[in-house]
Amino acid sequence: MSYFFQLVVSGIVVGSIYALSGLGFVLIYKSSRVLNIAHGQIIAAGAFITYALTVWVHIPIYISFLMSMVITFFLAMSVERIFLRRLIGEPIISVIMVTIGLMSILDGLIYLTPFGTENFSFPPFLPTTPISFGGVSISWTQMVGVAITFSMIAGFSWFFKKSTVGISMRAVSDDQLASMSIGISVPRVFGLAWAMAGLSAAAAGGIIGNITGLNFDTLHAFGIVVFPVVILGGLDSILGAVVAGIIMGLIQQFASGYLDGNWGLNGTGEVLPYIILLVILLFKPHGLFGIHEIERV
Amino acid sequence: MSSNRWLATGNYFTSYQEEQRIFFTSLDRSAMCIFILCLFAWPLFIDVGNKYMLVIDNILVAIIAVMGLNLVTGFAGLISIGHAAFVGIGAYTVASFARNLGDSHVLITHAWPLMIVLAGCMGAVFGAIVGLPALRLKHLYLAMATLSFQMIFEWTINFMNFFNQGQTISVGRVFWLTGKVARKEHYIFWYYAILVVIVILAFAVRNLLCTRYGRCLVAVRDNDRAADAMGMHPGFTKVYAFGLAGFLAGIAGGLHAYLYRGVGIDSFTLHHSINYLAMAIVGGLGTLNGSFWGPLAIKVLDLQVERLSEWVGAHLTVATNLATALRPLSFGLVIVLFLMFEPRGIANWWRIARSYVKLWPFRY
Repeated sequence: MSYFFQLVVSGIVVGSIYALSGLGFVLIYKSSRVLNIAHGQIIAAGAFITYALTVWVHIPIYISFLMSMVITFFLAMSVERIFLRRLIGEPIISVIMVTIGLMSILDGLIYLTPFGTENFSFPPFLPTTPISFGGVSISWTQMVGVAITFSMIAGFSWFFKKSTVGISMRAVSDDQLASMSIGISVPRVFGLAWAMAGLSAAAAGGIIGNITGLNFDTLHAFGIVVFPVVILGGLDSILGAVVAGIIMGLIQQFASGYLDGNWGLNGTGEVLPYIILLVILLFKPHGLFGIHEIERV
Repeated sequence: MSSNRWLATGNYFTSYQEEQRIFFTSLDRSAMCIFILCLFAWPLFIDVGNKYMLVIDNILVAIIAVMGLNLVTGFAGLISIGHAAFVGIGAYTVASFARNLGDSHVLITHAWPLMIVLAGCMGAVFGAIVGLPALRLKHLYLAMATLSFQMIFEWTINFMNFFNQGQTISVGRVFWLTGKVARKEHYIFWYYAILVVIVILAFAVRNLLCTRYGRCLVAVRDNDRAADAMGMHPGFTKVYAFGLAGFLAGIAGGLHAYLYRGVGIDSFTLHHSINYLAMAIVGGLGTLNGSFWGPLAIKVLDLQVERLSEWVGAHLTVATNLATALRPLSFGLVIVLFLMFEPRGIANWWRIARSYVKLWPFRY
């Protein structure tokens, strides 16, 4: 039984990171209908900036975590300003392809740094002995990571419910023309959505980097796993991204915990999200919390 | 109608049949015949060596795959981020025969045209299955469906013993009229074989686009509601487009398996899917000659970048990272620059050049 609870705990840890990565993805999609395929690279960039600031510049990790969030905020904003602003109104395939090109460019830029090919790990800054409750153990890094994730999600939901900027972002995602007519600058909101996504991606990257170590392949794989998460939750629902992230984390952990090694299966945790994605697309394409106004044929 | 379409201005067609012909004038037809003859004849006079012949063969295989991708993405307007998986399905069809029967079984070495057609059919079946969500959904969601198919395909190959867990499965050398194709003639033999396949497929695709089904694809892309009202079935048209794309990709995969005399997962990853998409875009989506320009441009660029990074690696020993970074960097820049400044691709340059000649000495 303790094995089961151990899986639940690690599922929630992984799932909350998925939730945080999915959140940034949904933010961009919700406001500007852009499918950001370069999200994994932004996550990786956030993690690497945190590491560089902590280890090379010797800034305390909490401050460098915040600083990397700020840097990625402006990085993502400038990405939107330079590449995506001129594609507003272009066919959807151009926009998707631009994010694919962006992915390649960011890949190249990361390969220029040592992070592209070598593995690093953060110096431990929390107690290394894991906490355990009756056979179920959770490390301090995971604990703090989950705490930060949930507080960030809470912060984001407050931002969208109460603050003026958040409400204007929701207005733009609802109806661009109407929000323009009441004086909201739609391009600015697009930029802001990218910036917020960058911020959440950097947070996710920093947490993943602390939990699993810095490996470029693992980090940018998160940008792809985000797809099943956001489809399960509904592409335009922030609550959906959070719930689906945790569900997906649990499914992955259970699959690799119970299925692998039996019946000659191996690595099921990696493939199950995509099978779920295909099944959802066939039967419930708007996901758990998505709006039903899906474009049908 | 003028006999020279390069000089004629305006539309002189008087019937639909006339507009749907492949060659509009006899001049066009003879120019195309001479061009194809040149393509067949040049290896007799110029010896480029095996290394560059392999590059050329690679370009030709990519052209077949991109023709398929262009059908589904350019003409039917459905984004496919899993095209390399369909190519892989074709290649692994040949490979699974080779693994079951032994890599120099008579079916592999003598009946290779049959194997290639079979590879295409498997590709078509999988294409249609993956396209099934198209019965209900539109572009964004289809991109997701094809992406997940890519990931499932990679996982299946990597974790199944039957597929050698992604390691190379060898495919035997083929026989031709005179006997087994010799090692040093391998690439030149496949150059001719692939060229024949391309000529057949290019005419088939060109013809298809003139028929009811081809025009259905374009109609569904441009406005599916209007197409529905005109009596077409948008969902089935899309599934059909995926099937066709899968067929072309499967053939490309089968040829790839024979060309490399082996199949490994390394040639069919997500990275390659993105590469195919980039080729289609750089060439020009929704144009047939774009599917020829795109692979050519991207592969030549690749070759140049490789040479540059070799040069950089040789001169600056610290800059090994720079060499690995150059490829994705240049690739990404090419995609982004094309999308921002020439979204209609290289095929558009061809169109501009033609209208320039037509209107000369006047211009807009």
